Parts: sequence; C-alpha cells; structure tokens
Amino acid sequence: MTFPELNPVVGYVSLILVAVATVLIGIYGLRISRTTGDFYVASRTVRPWWNASAIGGEYLSAASFLGVAGLILLSGVDALWFPIGYTAGYLMLLLFVAAPLRRSGAYTIPDFAEARLDSRSVRRVTSLLVIAVGWLYIVPQLHGAALTVRITTGLPSWVGSVAVVVVVCLSVITGGMRSITFVQAFQYWLKLTALAVPVIFILMQLAGSGASLTDDGAVFSSSLNATGSASLYQNISLVIALLFGTLGLPHVLVRFYTNPDGASARRTTLLVLGLLSVFYLFPTLYGVLGRIHTPDLAVEGSADATVLLLPSRIFDGLGGDILSAFVTAGAFAAFLSTSSGLVVSLAGVVSQDFFRASVSGFRWAAIVSALIPLGFALLTDTLALAGSVSMVFAFTASTICPLLVLGIWWRGLTDVGAIAGMASGAVLCGGSILLAAALGADQAPQWLRLPALWTVPAAFAITIAVSRLTARRRPRNASRVLARLHTPEAA
Amino acid sequence: MSAPEQRPPRVRVTAPRSATGPAPTYPVARELAEQSDVGELFVRSLIRSQLRLSAVVASGFLVILVGIPVLFSLFPAIHSWTIATVPVPWLLLGLGIYPVVIGCAVLYVRSAGRIEQRFRDLVNDE
Repeated sequence: MTFPELNPVVGYVSLILVAVATVLIGIYGLRISRTTGDFYVASRTVRPWWNASAIGGEYLSAASFLGVAGLILLSGVDALWFPIGYTAGYLMLLLFVAAPLRRSGAYTIPDFAEARLDSRSVRRVTSLLVIAVGWLYIVPQLHGAALTVRITTGLPSWVGSVAVVVVVCLSVITGGMRSITFVQAFQYWLKLTALAVPVIFILMQLAGSGASLTDDGAVFSSSLNATGSASLYQNISLVIALLFGTLGLPHVLVRFYTNPDGASARRTTLLVLGLLSVFYLFPTLYGVLGRIHTPDLAVEGSADATVLLLPSRIFDGLGGDILSAFVTAGAFAAFLSTSSGLVVSLAGVVSQDFFRASVSGFRWAAIVSALIPLGFALLTDTLALAGSVSMVFAFTASTICPLLVLGIWWRGLTDVGAIAGMASGAVLCGGSILLAAALGADQAPQWLRLPALWTVPAAFAITIAVSRLTARRRPRNASRVLARLHTPEAA
Repeated sequence: MSAPEQRPPRVRVTAPRSATGPAPTYPVARELAEQSDVGELFVRSLIRSQLRLSAVVASGFLVILVGIPVLFSLFPAIHSWTIATVPVPWLLLGLGIYPVVIGCAVLYVRSAGRIEQRFRDLVNDE
C-alpha cells in the first residue's frame, strides 16, 4: 500500500536528523565512558531522574508508539488494556524486584541467577533464555522501522531495518551503556514531544472547526471495530502477560543496576510509572482520532500507520509536513532506543558468556546481537506490532519472572527447580504460541493464542514443586544472599 | 587546537581489586545476618514484612484491575453510560486506572522505606 499524501522529503529529513542526533550523543558519551564498568552499567552513578527517563526511552518501543493507536483503531476499548499492562508491569517490578535486584550487585540476569543459586548450569539456561527474549523483542522493532520507512519515504522495507541496525551498532560500540543512558533519556522526551505537539495542533484545529471531537460519541461505537470484542479470558490473560512479563525483560532489568542503591531503584521506578502514564495518553488520543479520520487503515497490516498518517489527514501543505516530520522522528527514535537498549543488554550477556567480558568482546557481542534479529526481521512478515510484542511478554512472564521472584523471596529455590521451571515455562508458552500460529489466528482457541494465564502459574508451580523435591540442593549461602538482597544500605 | 603530544599520557583508572577498598556499604546489618542467630532472625522478619507488603499491594491492585472487566461483563449497561460523549469504560481504562497505579506505587515506596528504617533502628540498638 502506498500513501502519496506524505512528502518523502519530510521522511528523509526526519529520519536522518534522528540518526545523526543519536550517533552524536553516543560520541559525546564516549568522552566520559572509559572502563569496562562504564561500558556495562555506567559505573552505577546515574541519577534517578536521568535513569527514569532512560528507562522510559528504552521501554517505549514500536509497540507503544505505533502499535497502541493501531490496535485502538482495530479493536476499540479492548486495546486500552495494552498500555495499562505496559505501565502496570512497572508496578510489579517495583513491588517484587527493583530494590533487591539492585542490591544483588549483578550486571545481568544470568549473573543474578548464578550468584543466587551458585550454579553454572542455571547461568547457561538463563543466558539462553535472555538471548532468545532479546532477539524476539528486537524483531518487531525492526518491522516497525521497515513500516515507517516504507510509508514515509517510499523506500523498500528492508532499508528501515538495516538503518536501525547500523545506527544502533555505531552508538553502542562507541559509547556503551553510559552514552546509551544519555541517548535513552533524550529519546523519551523526543518521543513524548513527537506525539504531544502534533496532537495538540490537531485538537486545536478540530475544535476550531466547530465539529464535535468525538463525532457525538460515534467514534467509540464498537461498530467501527475491525475485530470482534475480546472475551474476559483474553483481557485477563493479556494483562497477566504484560504485568509479569515486564519483570523479565533483559533491557529493563539492566537499567536497575545503574541506580546507586536499593532506595533510589524504587524512586526511579516510581518516576517511570509517572512518565509512562503521561506518555500513553497520547497514543490513545491518536487511536481515538484515527477512528474518525483514518478509518481506511483499519485492516491488519496498515493499522500501525495511524500515528504516522493522522497529521497529514488533518492539515494540508507545510503544516501537515512539519507535524508528520514530528511523528516520523518520534517513531524512528522509538525503534532506535528500544533496539539499542536490547542490544546493550544482550551484548552484556553474550560477551560475559562467550567473549570473557572485555570491552572489545562487548563490541563484538553487540554486533552479533544486532545482526541475528536483522536476519529474522528480513525473512519474516510484519505482524500487528502490539500483538507480537505481547507474545514476548507472555514468554518472559513464564520463564524469567518465576526465577527472579522466587530467587529474591524464597530461600527454598534450588538450581534444579529453577531450570525445570524455566524449561517447562518456555516449552508450554513457546509451544502454545507456535501451535496457535500454525493453526492460524481464526482457528486457534484463545487459551493457545494467549497462554499466559495458565503458563505463568504452571511455571511457578513446577519451580516450587521441583525445588521442594530437591531440597537437599539448596545453596548453602542462600540465607546470606537473601540477607544481602533485602537489608537496606547504610543511611 | 593545541598539540596532542603535550598532554600527559592517558592512565587507565579502575576500581581497586584488593580487600582494602572503600568501606563496605552494609556494615552492621550484613555482619549481623552472617554471624549471629539473632541477626538472621532480624533479617528473616525484615524479608517477611517486605513480602507481606508487596503481596498486599499487588493483590489490592489486581483485584481492582480484574474487577473492572468483571464489572463490565456483569453489568453491560455500563457500556452505554457516557460523560461528555465519552463512554465510561473508555474513561476508566484510558484515564482512571493510571492514578490508581501511581497511588499503589507511592503507598508501597513509603511503606517499604518505613520497614527498612525500623530495621535500621533495631540493628543500631543492638
């Protein structure tokens, strides 16, 4: 599908500006980042406010920036559960892992697993899962980039994916995590501005024209939906996946190591909740306005373009071009920031396990971590962004979440229990999603398409049961590790 | 641009690896937990109160969250209520839930800080 209403020059200019700004900030960060510790976790000296903006910048991906509005266009009120889950996931993270995980002093999730359970095998299984989750999560970002570049410039889809990978590799291998913290913090505010400014102008224009903004409420009618309304099971299973999936996202967790102590990890999370709550108002507004002004996009595959095309449907000429440039830049920033956050955290894991944790190993690991998902993205077709990301959340909720929550709160966890839980969670959840994909979206029953509601409790139950059966393998230092995770630092 | 040769040679700065590094950040508390039965008892009760707090806040939030779709399916009439042409379910899910999330988070951060302060006071009395 082509959209002649967009001026390709606008697309080129905004994409190049964002890419150059990202690389420049990366190079500026290089002047500060020098040691291996700087590369991995910014030497743990990042302030809560910076850190919270950086977490927001990293977390708000293609699924949030484009996907939420697209889903509201397709399925109306049911789509509002996505931003709720994306936000409230941080509440669960705050309640169960933020402060203890920071006190664990580990760089990555596999580090935490090894320190807590004193086992190399747990470390290896966790590393494999983290790498799989990271790759699965980068693929939709690259699909989003492909869609954006195709719609805004008319270039072939692969250009978008390749451009994102090149910019991410450049900024990650030059600056590491420290510069990424600056880049990510900048990206949050860029994304917020990129959505807020156009929608404010759009609302002013519509209000000035005297027509009802909501078309007297008709915009909310479910008759505009392209999909049937979701069942209670679907809503609850989705929310469980999003709530508990956030806990296990590798690029989010690595951010918590950059807080100076446990209490500031909590303050950071609180700020993140505020930043996300403000942000999600805007994709929601785009989705609602799109139901009146871009109804032709309400088909699978096009809906994610709502945010990109809405400004040019309301404004003609230069005004439309400028506002389109805003949203295009914001969308590109979204793919860049989430992908670079994922690449940093994956490179941390890959280089520690395969490249002996040196700075040059980190750089090689970053390149490997970015190229493999690029291959996947070029070989597969675009799904609805918010939908494919929610499958990754279901998978992490069924694998990494039980390891973290039980590892932090329960003395009785054993290495065998953790491996059994992660493996069965991966098989149950991954298997259901693959089976549902093989059957097709219309044929597959809802408990296969959205498995989190039963696979998350199953993974927890298996982890606990197997740990009880192997109680003799409890690590001898479990009490000491738990004490370290929970005792507050000196005031 | 000044000539680069005049700069002092670049030095790699790393954290000290020996045991004589900076003072540990967890002084009394960790020692207690590692060495005495009383300390272990204190730490266990700290973990229990933190877990209880997290569980209470999480279940409160989940009850509210799951309550909303249950309410909608029990009373479908809610779908036809509107405020300024916006249906109530849209308002609840698009706006209303976010203050609840932040409220839960503020409540938790304050209480968790209080539990830790109580623990510090207890340990310092020893």
